[in-house]
Amino acid sequence: MRSEAVGCDAVVWAARERSEQERETPAERVLAVERLSAPVDLSDPATFARGIPQAAFAEMRSRPTLSWTPPRGGDRAGFWSVTRHEPLSEVSRNTEVYSSAVGHIQIYDIDSDALSARASMIDLDPPVHTRLRRLVSSAFTPRHVQSYEAAVRTRIGARLDALAAAGGGDWVEAVAAPIPIGVICDIMGVPESDHDYMIELTDHLVAGTSSRPLEPNAYGNTTELRLLPFNSPAAHGINEYARTLGERRRVEPADDLVTKLIEAEVDGERLSDAEFTNFFRLMVFAGNETTRASMAHLALHLVEFAEEFERVRRDPSLTAQAAEEVIRYSSPILYFRRTVTRDTVLQDTPLHAGDKVVMWYAAANFDSEVFHDPLRFDVARPLRPPNVAFGGGGAHFCLGAPLARLEVAILIEEILQRGLCLEIASDPVYVDSNFVNGIEHLEVALR
Amino acid sequence: MSADSVRMAVDSQRCIGGGQCEMLEPEVFLVDDDEAVSSVIGSGVLPRARADVVVHRCPGAAVSIVGPES
Repeated sequence: MRSEAVGCDAVVWAARERSEQERETPAERVLAVERLSAPVDLSDPATFARGIPQAAFAEMRSRPTLSWTPPRGGDRAGFWSVTRHEPLSEVSRNTEVYSSAVGHIQIYDIDSDALSARASMIDLDPPVHTRLRRLVSSAFTPRHVQSYEAAVRTRIGARLDALAAAGGGDWVEAVAAPIPIGVICDIMGVPESDHDYMIELTDHLVAGTSSRPLEPNAYGNTTELRLLPFNSPAAHGINEYARTLGERRRVEPADDLVTKLIEAEVDGERLSDAEFTNFFRLMVFAGNETTRASMAHLALHLVEFAEEFERVRRDPSLTAQAAEEVIRYSSPILYFRRTVTRDTVLQDTPLHAGDKVVMWYAAANFDSEVFHDPLRFDVARPLRPPNVAFGGGGAHFCLGAPLARLEVAILIEEILQRGLCLEIASDPVYVDSNFVNGIEHLEVALR
Repeated sequence: MSADSVRMAVDSQRCIGGGQCEMLEPEVFLVDDDEAVSSVIGSGVLPRARADVVVHRCPGAAVSIVGPES
């Protein structure tokens, strides 16, 4: 882990950078030379090639202050990393000081015209954010989500039976990928025949956080990449798909979220074309890549922590807690970034307006101050305090959390009820990203 | 309820309609299906310990304790 270190010599680096900036007071200069650089390059997807960098995050959590990563590539500024549970919750809940709308919510910077071209509610602050969120939030309340249970169970059962009949295969392709996309597409109103296309497109969006980008003109894209989410031409493909489906629903309304978004009014106005397509893309991405990552990791957990799942088999009342532990342990979204709006102090670290602050959910979910023996996979772990896989609370708390919990819990139930025996037949291939803790391929044998 | 009971309130401006309150205490909170905003229903009163759990779990920090039961 340490061999990948960048900018190890924090003191030398900080002194050099600060000498170029004259606005600091002497007191700030003293603090600046105490800046501790992150022990690994968190802006590099390769750092996450074998999953969560636990050793580096443990070292960062043990520090008295936030850790710093200097600017890289075309970025104008470096960023602060939050790795402890308590300050992460503070950043997450205080949208006035830690904004989603000022600057980008990914680590890399983008121009302001690109920011506004991409913006969905996840890139906005209250109250605008909240008005948009309310258009869809009733579809995802714990009560409403219960109404999806039978359909989710049928979908999961069919996938498991097919994979078991084949004796095994790629767990991601056969189970982890198609189930969440199927569920969210049903809710949105995307027909079954187009589910594979949605998987393909959202996969390419995640690839936009990797070092293997698509050709700029893929999916007939003509838009400048910097204006597209994840700088990916696949975003153009999703926007076009959304537009076509939206047109169809205008003529033939249905009981789905696309119809609801087409007909919705915010402050007496319909959503603009960009607002609608950005909303659609966010829902398809967020409802899909995240739960898929947890379901992919579940296969590894079932083998590595078999005795824990034996506890769940004997006592099914542990299922919800087991699902929550899978979600904590997999931490599908590794981070979101906020941008500081006014000078403040966080974890004894002075922050200036414009600074980037990155909430590493995957680090805070293993904070031993909050989670007893955090590296232990414990199906009976208390639900409080909550893990931060769905965010640290506040306005942007994961809209789909109740749905994700339901899907993972049902998958566990259906595996255990069938008495399926799973063996891992290949090393997991992780998604090349520092944003999604996904698994691309995982061969399993299933009996 | 007992002397340890408290009265609940929801700040509708902060509510993000996550429905955690209704899941925990369906007798006291209801998320409106159209507006997706939670409101207090019924007596609006909960034992202190359970009230604290709802306040803690509310992702929008919209639920609060406004005072003792009476």
